[in-house]
Amino acid sequence: MNLKLGFTPGRFLVHEHQAPWKVVRAFHSPGGESLVHLHNVSGGILGGDSLALTMDVGAAAQVQVTSTSATRVYRARDGALPAQLRTHVTVAGGALLEYLPDPVIPFAGSRFEQRTSITLHESAGLFWWETISCGREAAGERFQFESLFSHTEIRSGRQLIAVEHWRLEPGRGSASSLVRMGPFLYSTVFYLCHPKGVSLEGALVKMAHELSTVETRWGASALVANGCVVRGLSMQSRFLAAGLISFWSMAKETLYGREAILPRKMY
Amino acid sequence: MSRSPLNFLQLLQLADSAIPIGATAHSFGIETLVAENLLTVDGLESFLHDYLAETGLVDAIFCRAAFRASSELLPALNRHLSALRPASESRKASLALGRRFGQLAAALCDWEAAPECHLVLAFGLVAARLEFDVDETVLACLQQSVMALVSACQRLLPLGQIRAAQLLWAVKPAIVAVMERSRALQPADATSFTPLLDLASMRHPSLDVRLFIS
Repeated sequence: MNLKLGFTPGRFLVHEHQAPWKVVRAFHSPGGESLVHLHNVSGGILGGDSLALTMDVGAAAQVQVTSTSATRVYRARDGALPAQLRTHVTVAGGALLEYLPDPVIPFAGSRFEQRTSITLHESAGLFWWETISCGREAAGERFQFESLFSHTEIRSGRQLIAVEHWRLEPGRGSASSLVRMGPFLYSTVFYLCHPKGVSLEGALVKMAHELSTVETRWGASALVANGCVVRGLSMQSRFLAAGLISFWSMAKETLYGREAILPRKMY
Repeated sequence: MSRSPLNFLQLLQLADSAIPIGATAHSFGIETLVAENLLTVDGLESFLHDYLAETGLVDAIFCRAAFRASSELLPALNRHLSALRPASESRKASLALGRRFGQLAAALCDWEAAPECHLVLAFGLVAARLEFDVDETVLACLQQSVMALVSACQRLLPLGQIRAAQLLWAVKPAIVAVMERSRALQPADATSFTPLLDLASMRHPSLDVRLFIS
């Protein structure tokens, strides 16, 4: 189940498109980016699904990609393979990709594996966030999924600047450990990559300190090169969403001199 | 396992938490967890077990890989490990300790200075040159890491010497288990889910009062 998207300045191409993916056509956002909404018409990811998403952002293209709603990962049937999502992203010179999806919600009994590979030209920009929830908290589910696996690697030029490689299996090791999530229920990570991205560290650390509360903790740090990472943990998803927008707004204004305008959808 | 008595004594010295490389100046985020009232003495044993299961496993895998690596592969291992560590303070601390460990080994053994790398890699590299046993090397590396954390906790928490010794004793089976798990794993397999610990390290520079560099 593949989706292959290509972007050039002012042009959006769907090279391959298979259900359950659906793409809402590109809009020109008020900030000048091509705004694309990704939609999974099946309502979520089912056990055994194998999804692939490819995004090639051409030189100088300015692209914003979001989802239409949270990514729900449904309970896996006995014996079913874990649901899989493979994402390959390339961002060419002078281009900017803003990937701003809603949270991933792993339902009780679900198994999900995602592998993400991002290759940036050394002059490219990236804003990429991802939020993981503890499950359907409103239904009383907290960390009742079977397993979540994530591998993400980001290269800028030829340099490996960030790798995440983790597996969370609440049945084998408590998510509430102080090494893992402690008392928090939602986790987010936000990569901000740009040739001058490391220079954001001081401002991001200051903002993380100012935004942190008892219910929500933020931290920020420079990557090995060409970027920073922001991490957040919270008792509530909405606090993370609000904080991410604050970091994104500050970074976009600083690096691009432009206002960060949220994708047009319900929040 | 076979080793000479001299090998045994050298390994004991290099694995001592008091080895003069500056490890006592680092808490790797623990100071933040204590300052934010998350980590207490009562929670320390389970914290150390989980630390070993996540960060300890990565350290063990990379230490083992460095032990076996050719000098050409070491820079790639070092870059991979740097990219896995999102908090710059802990990343820099690990690199600084590795540099000093390599310098110390060079001074002790009359070697040329080893290439600069993370502490666990330097440990594996030096141990291989001294022809230590690889499993014992990984065990010693993990034990040194846990001893450094417990030592930091003694300065941050009301943790007495006897209780600290009991903790170190109690986590030894977990150290052995992590070493055994690392035998079948490569650096590409090294999973670690430590968002709160990473966050604690990222937040450390913002603490009002700090005893530790990291």
